[in-house]
Amino acid sequence: MLKDITFGQYFDSKSVIHKADPRIKIVLLVFVIVFIFLSKNFWGLGLSALFILITMLVSKIPLKMYFKNLKAILPILIFTSIINIFYGEGDVLLSIWKFEITLGGLERAGFMALRIMLLIIASSTLTYATTPNDLTDAIESLLSPLRFIGLKTAVHTLAMMMTIALRFIPTLVEEAEKIMNAQKARGADLESGNLKEKIKALIPILIPLLFSAVRRAAELADAMECRCYNSGEGKTRMKQLKLHFRDFSITLITLIFGAGVILLNIFM
Amino acid sequence: MSVLKVQNLSHTYGGNTPFYSDAVSNVSFTVEQGEMIGIIGHTGSGKSTLVQHLNGILKPTEGEIFIDEENIWERPKEIRKIRSKVGLVFQYPEYQLFEETVFADIAFGPKNMGLMGDELKKRVLDTCRLIGVKDEYLEKSPFDLSGGEKRRVAIAGVMAMRPKIIVFDEPTAGLDPKGRQDIIKIINDYRTAYNATVIIISHSMEDMAVMADKLIVMSKGEVVMLDKTEKVFAQGDRLRSIGLNVPIVTRVFDALRQKGISVPDDVFTVERAVEALKQIKAGDRNA
Repeated sequence: MLKDITFGQYFDSKSVIHKADPRIKIVLLVFVIVFIFLSKNFWGLGLSALFILITMLVSKIPLKMYFKNLKAILPILIFTSIINIFYGEGDVLLSIWKFEITLGGLERAGFMALRIMLLIIASSTLTYATTPNDLTDAIESLLSPLRFIGLKTAVHTLAMMMTIALRFIPTLVEEAEKIMNAQKARGADLESGNLKEKIKALIPILIPLLFSAVRRAAELADAMECRCYNSGEGKTRMKQLKLHFRDFSITLITLIFGAGVILLNIFM
Repeated sequence: MSVLKVQNLSHTYGGNTPFYSDAVSNVSFTVEQGEMIGIIGHTGSGKSTLVQHLNGILKPTEGEIFIDEENIWERPKEIRKIRSKVGLVFQYPEYQLFEETVFADIAFGPKNMGLMGDELKKRVLDTCRLIGVKDEYLEKSPFDLSGGEKRRVAIAGVMAMRPKIIVFDEPTAGLDPKGRQDIIKIINDYRTAYNATVIIISHSMEDMAVMADKLIVMSKGEVVMLDKTEKVFAQGDRLRSIGLNVPIVTRVFDALRQKGISVPDDVFTVERAVEALKQIKAGDRNA
């Protein structure tokens, strides 16, 4: 179950999306998310889906990796769909007590589910195709205008915190798995029981996990200080971010699709 | 009747993802009641994966495991019962401590088995006596103990379940010499007190020479040697070819032999070395 969470896992399939400037990728992801939300009908959402399908294929990341992320949010997906089934108008297909399932409701549920799936896939593409280091460099660069209001070190600190958080997700997942196994070996029952018992069964896992997270944080802070880390002035970079021709082409293609979605909203 | 039998066990990590890897392939062995088995092998040779099968933490991709002649995956719903028969102490077990007091932490395992009241209390106290945790420690927080003490308490947490087979994954890793001695003593005491079968993974050939009756040598997920400890250590070249070695005393005696000094070739422990050297000394005096 824990293994299904693959956020923050870079998958190097050396596609054009991998090579693109991470700043462009972040800005375009925000743009894509906006046009997924702007889609009012299945035509618009269909075009968004087509665009995302193309990015999936271009990224050369195995489709299984995407499905793994979708599987992890399956409960949310099911929950949203079920709620939405009852919130439609139109022909009543089935009525249970006070609730009515309508054709409109089914459509709405499908629409919502598709929208959530597209959002997850779009964000997965960014995290699969961009190394955590690139991501934070990009965030730092994008937030750099904040220095004009006196937040220069704050931007760098924030970026560093994000790098560290992303870097430690897989480590903590691994750690949680180890602790789970150790407690299972002591006869802990993590699967059966009612909700209250299940929550209580988490204590033997959460406490050691929290303890080790704090210990790791302290060790990392020491290690960084030993290497004279400071987030102050005058830091230069080994890798400078530069825009290339491909970044402009990717932007242009995305903008065309975005315009398409808006047109479909208006005319369909 | 063998207490543990592993038959053609294979385990593949990551199914059919790109991160697919064979961790253990086609491993078979049997263990008799009361034996002490050592598992040695290079890092990543599949030792830890292998032992996690013995109490059903991992399910084999192929093959079977029998405890007391019973296939442990015959009734998957009752796999938790196996865990009270086969105790598994993971690497750095002190990271699993979580309770407010040492007593409560040691009681976690037996409580999960259904022990209650006086019986539970007696079980915890008996275990503490066995491993030498003083009574005044019982009400302390496990997080206030020293590294070696934490390790002992964590091991006690598994021993309190009274498993007839107990498996240790590098029990002495990261401890000072005194701590290592303590852990070895605890393991031996448990074995004698309950006639338990013990399986130990270790990187320390010296510890293995002192403790293990038999050795399983693993390399790249396969068992490459399985024999009495002295027979395995007699094949130094073969061990070196897979990145392992013989105990330091044995290396010293090998070096002596190469210098032309006649010394016995079955010296694997310091005790035996002392004995051998005394014999040579006595022989010199006679000559």
